[in-house]
Order: sequence, then structure tokens, then C-alpha cells
Amino acid sequence: MKALEELVGLLTRLPGIGRKSALRVAYHLLKTDQAYAEALAERIRGLKSAIRFCSVCGSYAESDPCPVCASPARDRSTICVVEQPQDVVTIEGAHEYRGLYHVLGGLISPLDGVGPEQLRVDALVARLRGGEVREVVIATNPTVEGDTTALYLKRLLEPTGAQVTRLATGIPVGGDLEYADRLTLARSFRGRVRL
Amino acid sequence: MPFITVRFSSFRNLEDGEIDVAGKRVFLVGENGQGKTNFLEALYYLSYGSSFRGAVDTEVARRGTGYFALEATSRMEGSDEDLPPEKVIVSWKERTKTIRRGEKPLRDRKELIGINPTIIFCHEDFSFAVGEPERRRFFFDQTAGLVSSLYIDLLREYKRILKQRNAALKEGQVSVLEFLDEQLVSRGKDLMEERARIQADFEERIAVLYEEVSLLGREIRLRYRPSWPNDAGRNELVDYLARRRSEELALGTSLSGPHRDRWLFFSEGEEFTATASTGQHRLLTLVLRIAQAEYYSAQTGRKPVLLFDDVLLELDPGKRRRFLSALPDAAQAFFTFLPGEPWEDYRSEGTIVYRVEHGRLAD
Ligand SMILES: [Zn+2]
Repeated sequence: MKALEELVGLLTRLPGIGRKSALRVAYHLLKTDQAYAEALAERIRGLKSAIRFCSVCGSYAESDPCPVCASPARDRSTICVVEQPQDVVTIEGAHEYRGLYHVLGGLISPLDGVGPEQLRVDALVARLRGGEVREVVIATNPTVEGDTTALYLKRLLEPTGAQVTRLATGIPVGGDLEYADRLTLARSFRGRVRL
Repeated sequence: MPFITVRFSSFRNLEDGEIDVAGKRVFLVGENGQGKTNFLEALYYLSYGSSFRGAVDTEVARRGTGYFALEATSRMEGSDEDLPPEKVIVSWKERTKTIRRGEKPLRDRKELIGINPTIIFCHEDFSFAVGEPERRRFFFDQTAGLVSSLYIDLLREYKRILKQRNAALKEGQVSVLEFLDEQLVSRGKDLMEERARIQADFEERIAVLYEEVSLLGREIRLRYRPSWPNDAGRNELVDYLARRRSEELALGTSLSGPHRDRWLFFSEGEEFTATASTGQHRLLTLVLRIAQAEYYSAQTGRKPVLLFDDVLLELDPGKRRRFLSALPDAAQAFFTFLPGEPWEDYRSEGTIVYRVEHGRLAD
């Protein structure tokens, strides 16, 4: 069954999906009603054109600039630096932080061939040039790569005069921002430390 | 009793089924190649999630099956007999290892440490006396990790930083090196402190134990020689690394740090490894394991489970007797014997004896 095999092949390229899960998904789609399958296909097709990068912060949004960057209610003196767009969603879910964001698009990791040049670091420096930003909160994961990136940014941003802080408490060592619960995250924000 | 039952499924040559091991001492008697060591390896797997023989999961699964499962019931020494026993399951299927404590899958192998604290005495230990420096680092890191999961975290972090730093050196990513230096020094200093603490504890322990078993009147001293200058502060070490930058960039690797630390044994001012006989090396490795067991008990207040793989065989009767009397109090001990050995002499009340033949255990 070529159609099924091809679908399974595509599904296994998704993160966290092995051949077994892919088969289960494919058979489920085969059984399910046509309307659902159509709706799913439609959403997948439209995803890339409906959602784009915010040219200011680098997170995903349906508009450019994104609602956070465009909102007059947000505190423009604080920028929270995160690794990936999903982290913005996680932090927004905690309803603790009222400032702006900056997505790096990765972390410094020589093992993966990622240096500062591969990240949205220049764009961050450019955003600080106006002098409006007084605090940069670094919210990278407490891993070796997250630490290296934080230390690098601290050194880079010091001359701008902005205070550089880092989420410190609450997140378990080796833990992942994505899995931190809301309360922990809220506490982390209140207890951020100066780097 | 620590281990109460052990269940095997498709593990090495051992017959599938459950074995009762609820005795203070368990003897496994059989010819070589029948499965005695495999049995100890299974217990070690159930204690740490890996093999003490350096075997990988693929190798321990019975040939052609691509699968194995081990299950142990156990009870912590001194815990209430009315409580249900602890259950640990280690299985490997479709190239994935799963470790469960009861129904709960463990995310990290280190969560297993401490449920059944096990110390192995085996042939591979010989390399602690005569092998590469890496083998002695392994032994003392293992010792520290047995009593502190923070040490395991620290070592893992250090190794990750080292890997990133080596990649940066190889790729010439100079702009990030100073930040990796800072982290390497931070974790490295913590490791050095911990290792120095162990040296201070083991120096006396090893000297006393070695004399107790050998009666040679030869004093053994353990020395810890860190790769970095011992008394240098963090800032000095960061400078030290910066000064060697061009050399490291040229070679594309980290030339100094705790991954190059050395542990040495001295006797009468000379390095022991160079001057001692094979028998003395063998004795030293046994003493190291006894010291490890003692250290574990002293730090945690718990008695370990001891596994002895053919170690008595190589000692003369006098040393054998003194070795057995020098052993720390164990919660439980497993011994392997060849049929010709005088194992009946070591038997005491409550000792369980199994004959091992072609992977089958019989009373
Ligand atoms: Zn934005």
C-alpha cells in the first residue's frame, strides 16, 4: 500500500514519532471520518503561510510585528531572551512577565557547529541601541549550552549599560524550560539574579 | 534481606525463571563458563543498570533474541519485614533500555543507585593497580558517585563542558572559549575538592587494610595529583587556561583539567605499580574494593551488598583467611567458586548454595 507507506515515511520524520507511532497515526487517519482528515490536511497546508516570524523578536505570530511587540501595554524597558519561539508561549502562560521578548533561535554549541554568528545576537544588540531597554533577562535553560550562551551575552551586553539578569531558582539542573510548571516559572521570574 | 528473588529472562546463558536468594551468603558453585559470572552481572545490572564487564546491552541479551529482562525483589537492610519488598526491573527491547522501580519508570540510571548498593570484586579490577590512569579515575569517581548523586551531576556537567570546549578548540571558535573556560574551571574546582576529600579518607584506610591482609610490613600511600595547580584560585586557573590557548588550539584538545588528574600508589618513596609483584597488585585491587565498601558504609550508614567473582581462588590460604576477616560488614554477599575449592569451609548458617551448570541453577 504505497499511499500508506508514504504517509508513514513522512510521519516518522516528525520529532518523537517512531515507526510504530507513525503506523498507529496512519491507521487512525484511515479509519477516521473524511471531514477530520480534510481539516487536518488544510491546517497543515496553511500553517506556513498563516504564521510567520516576528521581525522584531523572532517568535512566531500571525502578524508582524507580533501582538507582544505591538502591544502598548508591555513594558519596553525589559527584554527576556529565550532559545526558541515555544519558550515565549511557555513564559506567557505563567502570566508573570510583562516585558518584551527576544528569540535567539538556538544556543551556543560548538559540538553542533553553532556559534554566536548563527544566532539572532546582532539583532538583540541592535534593539538595545536605542537606550530604552534597562534590563535583559536571560531565560536560557540551565544546561552547559544555556550557561555558555548566558555568559557570552552578559559580556556582550555589559557595555550597553543595561542590567543583565538570569532566571536562577526553581528550574532543576539539567531541566528544561518547556517542562517547568507555571508556579516554578513565576517564582523564577521574581527571583532572577544579576549576572 | 537485600536481594530476595531474582528473575531472569533471555539474559546471557541463564535459564529463564525466578531464583530465591534470600540468604546472608549465596554461593554459586560451578565450572567456568557455566553462568556464575553472568548471575553476578545480572545483580549488578539490577543495582546500576549496566554491566561491570564493560559489556553493552546487545551483548547480554541472549543471542538472536534482541531482548532481555531482569527483575529483583529486595528489602533495605533493617527495614520493616511487613512492608512489601522493593521491585526493580531492568529490560532492554528494540534497542531501548527501560528501568523501573515498581511501576514507575526511572528517567535516569542514577536514580537506581542506593536501592541496592552493590560492590563488585572482579578480574577487571586488576587494571586499577596496573592499568591506564583513566581506570583509577574511574574507580574513585565511582566511589564518589556511590555516596553522592551530586558528584555524578558534577562529573556529567564537567564532561559536557569538556566536549564543547574540545569542539570549540578543534573548530577554532575562539570567541566562545573564554566562557567555556569559566565553566570548566568552576566544575573542575568542585571535582578537585571532592577528590581531595576522598584521598584524605582513603590514604589511611588503604595503608591499614593492605598491611592487614598482606602482613608484608610494606606501607602503601595513595596520592592524588591534580592536573591543575592544587592551590590556584578560580581566576588564576582561568588565566592559566588563557595562557595555553595557542597550544590547545594547535592540538585541538583540552590539555589540562580534572580529566587528566592522576591517582598514584607509593611504597617507600617509589611508585608501587613499577616495583610490586603481580600478587601484590592483585592484593591492592582487593583492598581498594574493601575500602570502597567501608567508605560507603561510613558515609551512608548502610551496609552494601558484596559480589565476589572468583577472587578467593588467587589467594593463598593465609591471605584468604585474612581477606575474609578484613571484609566490612555486608548486608549480603554473593560468591562464585569452582567445584574444587573448599567452599564448604566458608559456609555458615543460612548460606544458600547453588550448583551452576549450563546456565541452570540447582540446589
Ligand atoms: Zn515580536
